[in-house]
This record gives sequence, C-alpha cells and structure tokens, in this order.
Amino acid sequence: MKKIETTLERVVKTIEEFYDRYEWHFLTLNGIDLDDGKIELQWIFAKYGAKDETVVFYCITDYETEVPSIVKLIPSAIMGEREVVDMFGLTIEGIEGKLYLSDDSLKTPLKTMGLGGCEV
Amino acid sequence: MKKVINIPLGSQHISLLEPVRFQFKTHNEKIVEVGADVGFVHRGIERACVTQFEWKKLPYVVARVCGLCAITHSLSFTLAVEKMLEFESTRRIDYLRMLMVELDRIHSHMLCLSHTAENAGFEAMFMEVMAAREPVMDLQEAISGNRVQFDYIAIGGVHRDISPETAKEVVATLDALKPKIERLLEEFSKNWSLSLKYRGVGMLTYEEACIYNTLGPLARAAGLRTDVRLESSDLPYEEVGFEVVLEKGGDIHARNMVRLYEILNSIEMCKNIVQNLPEGEHLLKIKGKPKGEAIVRLEAPRGELMYLVRGSGKNFLDRVRIKTPTFSGIPAMVEIFKGSEYADAPAILASFDPCMSCTAK
Repeated sequence: MKKIETTLERVVKTIEEFYDRYEWHFLTLNGIDLDDGKIELQWIFAKYGAKDETVVFYCITDYETEVPSIVKLIPSAIMGEREVVDMFGLTIEGIEGKLYLSDDSLKTPLKTMGLGGCEV
Repeated sequence: MKKVINIPLGSQHISLLEPVRFQFKTHNEKIVEVGADVGFVHRGIERACVTQFEWKKLPYVVARVCGLCAITHSLSFTLAVEKMLEFESTRRIDYLRMLMVELDRIHSHMLCLSHTAENAGFEAMFMEVMAAREPVMDLQEAISGNRVQFDYIAIGGVHRDISPETAKEVVATLDALKPKIERLLEEFSKNWSLSLKYRGVGMLTYEEACIYNTLGPLARAAGLRTDVRLESSDLPYEEVGFEVVLEKGGDIHARNMVRLYEILNSIEMCKNIVQNLPEGEHLLKIKGKPKGEAIVRLEAPRGELMYLVRGSGKNFLDRVRIKTPTFSGIPAMVEIFKGSEYADAPAILASFDPCMSCTAK
C-alpha cells in the first residue's frame, strides 16, 4: 500500500492527474475520526491486473470545511461520498447523504470513534 | 409527448428477496431514469467493530455482515490483522482458507444462476440448480460445522482441520457436481429461455465497466480483466490452478457464462487443494495487539471485498472499513437499467447477484 499525502485544495487535481480509468479503479472514500476534531480522509485506488498495487491519497481536515467531490471524475465515487456524509456528518460538494440513515437514525455514528473504544 | 410512468421495484419484490428499492421512470415501458435506495437494513457493524467488541472477537462479528460470503468477510478482516501483527501463515492454513472461499463461490454462483432461471420462468431449472447446490453446502458443513454463517476462520489459522475422509468426500462430491455444471452450461448456452432471450439484455459495455469501476463477474462478463485472486498475493492462487474467466458480451447471458466457467475453475481448484494439501498446523498462536494500518482485498463471489483496519495497540481498534462488492456495483447497475425494458428488470436485477446484507452493513 502506497500512501500519498494531499490537501483538500489539491485532491481533485491530484486524482485527475493520477487516475486512468483503464488502469485503476476507485475502491472507496474512507474516513477515520482522529479524536481531536479532525478527520483523516482516504481516497483508495487499486490497479487492474497488477499484484498488490494499492494507492491511498489522504489528507487530514476538520469537520467544518467542505470537501470537494470527485464524482465528476469518477461517477462510482458517489457511493463512498454519500456514505461519508452519512457516517461522519461532513459536507461534500453537491452530495446528499441519506444513503443508509433516515431522519430518526443515530446521527454521524462514526464521528466520535477515537475514544478508546467507549460508547459515545 | 410520451407519458412518463413511475414504477417502483422493491423494497420487497418477488424477483429479489432483499431490501433494495429501484425507482424507475419509464416511457412506454422503456426505463429512462433510475433511482436506487439501498439503506433499508443498515446495522452499524463498522461502529460495533470499534465500540462493542475487542479485536479478537471481530472475525465472528464481521462474519455476520453476510450469511453467504461470511468466510470472505472474516478472512479479509483476519488477513488485515495478521498483516499488522506480522504473522506468517503456513501453506496448510492458506490452502484450507482457499478451499472454503472457493466452495463458497461455487454455491453462491449456483444460487444466482438458479434465480436467473427462475426469472426466466424456468422453474424446473431453478429447482435443478438448487438441488445440485445442496451437496456443496453439505461439504461446507462437513468442513466448518455450518451450512451458512460459517465461523471457520480464526486469527492465526482456521478452527478445524480437514480429515482425510472429508478430503475424499470433497473430491467425490465435486467429481459428481462437474457433469451437472457442464450440463447447465449447455442449457444456459442453448436453451431459448436462458440464452437467446438474455443475449443483448442488461448490457454493460467494456467502456461502461471502466467508467463505473465495475468489479467481479459483472466486469469480467464485459471483458474487463480484473479479479482479486490475480491481483493479490495474500493467498497462493497461482499454485492451485486459478484462471481468470472472461466474456465479451456484457449481457445477462455473458454473466451466466462467467459464473458457470468460474464454478468449473473453482471445482478444479478445490480438488487441487485437497489432493495437494501441505502438512502443517491448521491454527497457530498469535501474540500482540494490532498496531498500524492494513488494507486487504479478496475476491468474494460477487467481486472485490476490501477491509481497511487501523489499530493503535489497544483492545479496541480505531477503524474497520468494509467495502463490499455490491456497494461498488450500484452505480453500474443503475446505468444498465437505463434503456432496458421494464419487463426485463427482474432478470437484469437477478443477473447482478446483489447482496443488500453486505451493502448495508
């Protein structure tokens, strides 16, 4: 697994330069709560037909800043982006959550995870 | 101007007993727009993995994501943790794990094929495929103790070794299954209901497969050469006769063919595994607590399954991310429906072999 750090400002351009749809596929967008009001976002790719070639672009951000969407580049990213909006309460440009959660569900269930395993 | 009619399919529908809802807009029964709602049974398993259960219990927890491919879920998680603990597996452990994954693929593909036949109105074929599937589930029970919802994978190996008698039973059962699959191959190739009717229906081209990052049998039926068994070195598939199955049609018929040829390949692999099973322990002790981050990808029956695990040396992990095959496939499924006749929608849906239990983990 190769991890490449990026920023929210650069991430779309970085992925645009990297991504060739005949070579790589986008696995998903992942979020990891870092327990200090920050979240690590990961855009995960794997190469078709190649052994163990996984590339992760990541950046650390707060919960308030709007995250750019990569759906225009990679239409299938819609699922991962909607899930992150649901699970962490982030705002992603032009993306509605409500993939899994309804109005009466627990809100942002993965937002407060980095608390030593305590139920919050 | 044509009249637009809204037709829902699901959340409960006779063609697929899983909670997914597609909302079709149709012009004269041709589907022009599609909406998909997959969020009926979200269970919060990712949250439970980091708040309710210590890491050693998680292979049992993630096995509950899906009853059918429980082996692939618990194995993906286990491999990720074993990577973090720098655990070195034995060849026997690898082989026993591959055996169960491939038996799982055989019965899962057969389930999909039976439903495809049922959606063609071919009830007799549905029952024939389901009957032929039973001995495979009996084998899984003989090896793991369960027909479904297996808790076979352990951190450090597998819970039960295979006896010489069971190994012989595996070979005998699969030898008996092979001619049945070859007959099904002929039926699915030549029978009007199963072949001619489905050619050109539910099309996904190679280009669309690339655009929508399609994976698994759906991608391989469109000619996209991708299979995690080829792309990951976590299990030694090259030693047991794995071959990538590719078709070019991109339609329901091509998906049926991919699944049938993959069953035949899995039969050969399972026989190779039990006939060349290395000596050694089936379960090793493992020390430490997971620290760091690992990604593991495995080829589940429906395509690529990914687990990302992060830990910081505590009893509870920091993150368990589960990316399931159907989750990735939804955008492609929506596109495939567009332009299709509404009457074909149930058959197209069955050919995706979607798993909502996995998707709404």
